[in-house]
Amino acid sequence: MEPGAGEGSSTDDYESLISTTDAELLKRAWRNEKAAPEILKFEAALVQRSRQQIQLMEETVEEFTRNGVDPLTVSLYQMDLDRTLFLLRSYLRTRLQKIEKYVLHIQKTAELWNRLSKQEQKFAIRCVGDLTQHLEQSVLTKLPDQYQSHLKQSGASENDDMVPEPKLDTYIICRSKKFLGAFQLDDSGEEPVNIEADDLYALPYKSIKPLVESGQIDLV
Amino acid sequence: MAASSDSQASAFSAAELEFLAEDEMIEIVPNMRMDSLNFVSGDFGPFRPQIATQVPLWLAVALKKRGKCMIRPPEWMSIEKLTQVLEAERDSEKFQPLPFHYVEISRLLFDYAREDIQDVYMVRSLIEDIKDVRFHKIGTGLEIISRERTYALRLKNLSAMEANIVRPFVTRALETFYKLSSPEMIQESDHLSNRQPQVTNRGPRRQLKDR
Amino acid sequence: MYGKKASELVKEFVSCEHGQLTSFNNDLFAQVIEECNGHLLHLQPLMRKIQEHENKLKDNRRSEDETAISEDESRKSEADTIFIQTAMKSDQFGALIHHLSLVRNKRCLMAYVYNRAEVIKSLGWVIDCVLPEEIEEKLSSSEKEYFKNHAATLQSYMSELDLDLTVDMIPPKDPYIKVRVLDDIGEVVLSDQVATLARNAMLFLRRTDGEQYISQGLMEELTG
Repeated sequence: MEPGAGEGSSTDDYESLISTTDAELLKRAWRNEKAAPEILKFEAALVQRSRQQIQLMEETVEEFTRNGVDPLTVSLYQMDLDRTLFLLRSYLRTRLQKIEKYVLHIQKTAELWNRLSKQEQKFAIRCVGDLTQHLEQSVLTKLPDQYQSHLKQSGASENDDMVPEPKLDTYIICRSKKFLGAFQLDDSGEEPVNIEADDLYALPYKSIKPLVESGQIDLV
Repeated sequence: MAASSDSQASAFSAAELEFLAEDEMIEIVPNMRMDSLNFVSGDFGPFRPQIATQVPLWLAVALKKRGKCMIRPPEWMSIEKLTQVLEAERDSEKFQPLPFHYVEISRLLFDYAREDIQDVYMVRSLIEDIKDVRFHKIGTGLEIISRERTYALRLKNLSAMEANIVRPFVTRALETFYKLSSPEMIQESDHLSNRQPQVTNRGPRRQLKDR
Repeated sequence: MYGKKASELVKEFVSCEHGQLTSFNNDLFAQVIEECNGHLLHLQPLMRKIQEHENKLKDNRRSEDETAISEDESRKSEADTIFIQTAMKSDQFGALIHHLSLVRNKRCLMAYVYNRAEVIKSLGWVIDCVLPEEIEEKLSSSEKEYFKNHAATLQSYMSELDLDLTVDMIPPKDPYIKVRVLDDIGEVVLSDQVATLARNAMLFLRRTDGEQYISQGLMEELTG
């Protein structure tokens, strides 16, 4: 964990950090990834630790079965394992589905591209290849020269004006574990809103994005 | 190639909400002896007959199904507490505090631990009534905490299931408000609200943006 | 009307139930492509004409500057300039209409193909590399190829990770269920036990073992 990753990391934060299990962290990562409109930073260390724990647990269950530990205990361990595996798979899957959906946008936006894991980057590159090949074969090569780009509507467009991207002003529902105090929603000088502990809020994703990234607020 | 926005309509399925609720802790009284369980999700037990212990709901239900324990329903599920909540829920526009997953927890307990709940029919109908009352005041009980430029809504004490139900409506409505209050739109409405005598002339037209 | 066919194409996709596909409309698709090329045929001569007008205007200006001309000639040249400018405007608007129609058609074609591709991609998560015939016959040849390529892309990610992501699509449930036997079934071999199933017997078995009997109405799942 980077020191000072969350602002004002007091002892309070530190305690909540060490008392939070990886299972909890994985659940939070899964929830946030599912509810956020854009792709979030890949939780590399967490995924690696979770996979190690899963592997250990799989070995334990095998060992139990070999050693004739009672079937009840074995089946309970198996259920715990199944739950963790589901979270991990669903987390990775949710990310791949976002990559599939916004691959052209992610590829040309460095900030987003760097949020992907190595394997996800490879996946994304192949996705772009598959998709552009298909679009070219089906549509683009059949159109006049000036209209053959899959990023621009025509040669007259200055920017890439035909790339699907996530809507960051989408509203999300979120909850903070702690009292965050007055929070500025946008830069218009509007009155800040109070974010209190354990209450739900419907806010534009854009405005609380940094709080999601620093782990101060959870999407639900 | 406009991206469709319907994926946001419901972030979590009912099954996923139930999955999350199954991690909530609940008290059980085992009728067997079993060593501690050192799970990925935490350590639970040891289990001794007649000695109450806290476990996640999924584990409680699994043990219950196998006849290895009784489940102690949480305090908020007593008739007394629920009656209070229902009354307060009816008297006030505000939502009463209940566990975030009260809908899922109570349903799981009704499904798998009916015999452990005293006056189960009464409890069940109280929860149904509470759900109904709360659902019907979703329109009035949400508090707008910011309406200057960015609309924000506080969903105080709303449960997971309720939040999921209102999500598509609330998020879409707020997005529309947000769009309408964007700077260009405000300019436009300022011209309208000036109420100048010449109704036909609304001042300079907003220039269409270049493509 | 320009763009009408393209909008029909998009409407056809939208009218389909979410996540489902109709047959790829080759016919209408080809007609829209043809319309695009038709626009180009109009566009090119217009662009040439606009260029010619511009050149003429330049020439006029140059000759005005270079030679001293009589008042009469100057009036004539002015009228000529206005005439050319008017003609050019009309050509420019004509070109704009064809350009915008072309762009609109392109967007519709892309929307049709892209949104179908989204559905095809989502199939990759639920179907193992081989499409069932009733879906395959609805796809264009490029779409079939796209499905294969994309499924392979997904497969290569999963094998690199050594983790199958196409399972566990919904949250796990207790693998065991409690059932009541509704008929005298007799002795059966289950994945973890051999059991004699008599009517009204209650037993605890793997959900995967029980499901076939439940769907045949030979068992019912017990809760509570």
